[in-house]
Amino acid sequence: MFRFQSLDEDCTLEKEEGLVEEEDEIDQFNDDTFGDGAIDDDWQEEHKRLAELEEQKNDGLGGLGLGTLGMGGMGGGNASTVHLPPPASRVPHPSSLPPPHHSLSSIPPPGLEERGGGDLAESLAMLILGVDPAIASVGGPAGPDDRSTGLPPPPSIPQQHHHPSQLPPHHQLTPSGLPPGPPHLSLLSYQQHQHLLRRGAAPMQQMNSHNIWENNLGFGPVSITPGLITQMEDSPLMSIIKEVGLPNRPPPMMSEDGRDLSERAPPPRSSSPVIGSPPVRAVPIGTPPKQPMSHAMNHHHHQQIHHPTAIHVRAPVQHRYPPSFPERISPNTLLNIANSPLCRPPFPAGVGPVLSQIQRAQMLNSQVAGFPRGCQGPPLLPGGGGFRPFFGQPPPHRMGPHPGGPPPPNHNHVPCPIIRHNTTHLHPQHRRMLTQRMQSRGGERGGRVGDWRSRDPYSNLMSQREKEWVAKIQMMQLQSTDPYLDDYYYQNYFEKLEKRQERDRDGVRKEHTTKLITPQVAKLEHTYRPVQFAGSLGKLTVSSVNNPRKMIDTVVTSRTDDEEKREKQVWNKRRQILYTVEKMYSLLLEVQDFEKRFMQTPEEQREALLEQHKTHTLQLYSSLKEKEWDDRVSDEQCLLIMSVRKGKRLISRLIPFLPPLQAATVVMGIARNLPALAKKDKQDQVLCWLVEPIAVVISSLSSASLTDLLQELQGSEGQLSRVLQNKFGVTLLYLILSEGERMQSSNPTCQLMDDNRWTELVFSVTRELLNVPSSSLSPPLFTPPNLLSLFSRYVDRQRLELLQEKLQISALSRCVWGCA
Amino acid sequence: MNYMPGTASLIDDIDKKHLVLLRDGRTLIGFLRSIDQFANLVFHQTVERIHVGKKFGDIPRGIFIVRGENVVLLGEIDVDKLCDNVLQQVSIEEILEEQRLQQQAKQKTEKAKVTALKDRGLSIPKADNLDEY
Repeated sequence: MFRFQSLDEDCTLEKEEGLVEEEDEIDQFNDDTFGDGAIDDDWQEEHKRLAELEEQKNDGLGGLGLGTLGMGGMGGGNASTVHLPPPASRVPHPSSLPPPHHSLSSIPPPGLEERGGGDLAESLAMLILGVDPAIASVGGPAGPDDRSTGLPPPPSIPQQHHHPSQLPPHHQLTPSGLPPGPPHLSLLSYQQHQHLLRRGAAPMQQMNSHNIWENNLGFGPVSITPGLITQMEDSPLMSIIKEVGLPNRPPPMMSEDGRDLSERAPPPRSSSPVIGSPPVRAVPIGTPPKQPMSHAMNHHHHQQIHHPTAIHVRAPVQHRYPPSFPERISPNTLLNIANSPLCRPPFPAGVGPVLSQIQRAQMLNSQVAGFPRGCQGPPLLPGGGGFRPFFGQPPPHRMGPHPGGPPPPNHNHVPCPIIRHNTTHLHPQHRRMLTQRMQSRGGERGGRVGDWRSRDPYSNLMSQREKEWVAKIQMMQLQSTDPYLDDYYYQNYFEKLEKRQERDRDGVRKEHTTKLITPQVAKLEHTYRPVQFAGSLGKLTVSSVNNPRKMIDTVVTSRTDDEEKREKQVWNKRRQILYTVEKMYSLLLEVQDFEKRFMQTPEEQREALLEQHKTHTLQLYSSLKEKEWDDRVSDEQCLLIMSVRKGKRLISRLIPFLPPLQAATVVMGIARNLPALAKKDKQDQVLCWLVEPIAVVISSLSSASLTDLLQELQGSEGQLSRVLQNKFGVTLLYLILSEGERMQSSNPTCQLMDDNRWTELVFSVTRELLNVPSSSLSPPLFTPPNLLSLFSRYVDRQRLELLQEKLQISALSRCVWGCA
Repeated sequence: MNYMPGTASLIDDIDKKHLVLLRDGRTLIGFLRSIDQFANLVFHQTVERIHVGKKFGDIPRGIFIVRGENVVLLGEIDVDKLCDNVLQQVSIEEILEEQRLQQQAKQKTEKAKVTALKDRGLSIPKADNLDEY
């Protein structure tokens, strides 16, 4: 990009060939670096032209003490490496410039010479132009060009950077370059200076050989130390350019008067904070309250100023958050705006409101020089205006309608200070002391402060809300659940103080000893309850610093040991029952298959098989029956088995295979335990499976056993009512009764009537039937038809009719059931 | 309004002129505009004051944001009681020059000391990095 010509011409064009290939690339960099408005014309041509010029003028200016200008002389390091050689004769310049630079004073900027002094400002401008090679070289090519229309100093500056060695002649060319006309002070205003600085900084990285540099260019006001150069080389600016490439080149604005408005604004920061850093969207607890952004100023500026389209040199990351002040306002504009409201500078330093160029430059120097370490790339629009807020966003904001907060603190119109009770947990003694102190202090400060405050235009940058927020955070840290633990000395001190006061005041009244009541913060449990919308699956979680999101939604269910044992027991029992049932089933199945097998086995083995069969059956029965008694089924066992659905099925299948006696006992058992069975059957409702086999059994019962059965059914107190409530029970009852009736009707000589039991039982049944409310009477599976006749035997007409109605027995149905 | 009675808070110091001494030895004077819970400070119209002997010089710095941990001490300046009787203000260049000379002198003495010690076979390591461990 640059080809620096030393005074000896050995290395003039050695790199030309190499650079030509990357010409396009280089030119892109060029534009980026030097801003828009770069000239399209061929700089190489220019260079040649200038080279010729140089040869002519070189003799005259040989041996410029320019070397002193550059790096070496910067022994001062931080300080005033001012490169403005004061033609002390010309301009009243502060004498603080270091002597070595006076070597240049012998060569007064030609501009000054030729103009014969003009006005001071202009000469100053010339001065700066003359010395600063970056700016000085402005004039050169413009001179010989026919582009004398306007002053394009900025655009042509890049051209001139290529030819730093042309400086000396350029000094002389300066006047020709600068068109006569409006003073160009404005062009050399602060931001211009900045601009030039920026440009000055960037090209440095292309520097290859140091000897080239030594002669020329204190490049602008920036002191170039070798160390700094390396910094420049990997300046973020260039790296960004390399990454991103060329942004769109705005059309070169060459207006009539040569003012390129895009040059007004300083180029954007090269090291943008936006790059790489994610936008902060979630608001953690530590963030300050948001400022109400007043866009008033923004709009205002937009209207006023040409919003220039400056080149974006950043990576293609959009600004995620709007800048609170428009970035493109030139400092001058801001200065104008900000200047007006300022009535009195609060800062009592003796500096006038408007800085002269020199002083600005001076400040700049010191500013820049003061940061040799940190300065990466072009120095950020420095807050060099320590006296005036060039770039301050606050003033434009605060000038506007200030969000009316409470009057600034310490106005002290309030006689008694307000102690915020929600944030302070002070010892009562402490509180008392404080109020006293405040009141005494309040009188002093009075009006003076208030007056001063009202005049300070920058006051209340921190809004009330923000102050409270900080106070809140600080108070939060003071809260404690155990004050004695957290702040032992504080507590003790006040305790002692109180005691001492008590003692001092009067030792007599002991009863007034104040009890130490230390305020304690209640331990609040802040459990996070996730938001849940009705009807939706899952819960919303808003995670923040204080409740990070749950990874696993685990719910702890802790069961006590007892509960677990009980549950286990229940399950174990059930399992056991099922196991028993299974075993019985296997036996049963064998028994059931006996027939088939019997047919299949040959004669000889049939006996054995028969035996086997018998054994099985016995086994089956034995598993049901009581331990000791043969003729009674173990209630417990029966119940257990019947509690399981499978068990019920088993029994129903089993009964047919049992020998009659045993079957009868089983049925007896069922009848006996019917209520319990009925209760257990509530879920399954499969007792009715038993109806058929039981019916069969019943029909084969003798009268005596039938009676017994009926008795069993009625067994305990209230059993019958419960029986009646159950479908199966009713059905069973009817079966029994109908059997009884059948017996009686078919065989008059049956022994049923011999003892009164049957009669009595029937009577009780009828009684019960009548008493039981219809609602609780469960409809049976079927109603044997001969019930009516049964009842008619035992009950009178009235009751019969009632019964009839209740049981819905039709007198006409004469279907004989199970006729013998 | 009293924000934090019984505790020290910078809230009442806002918008007042302060002097802050930083850990690296710099002295800043400016108007304290904003704070936060870490005592990060925002200074306005800041001036860095360099003291060399009886002379001092002010370098205007603009807006400063100081990270709280770097503050050694901070105090309010009474604007009415400007005590310039003892100290003499000089220009920036001069004070910087003075500072440079002072640094030079110090380095010289330090160097002399080190050589002297070295001659005697002792070496005291420089406590350069006091902050780091």
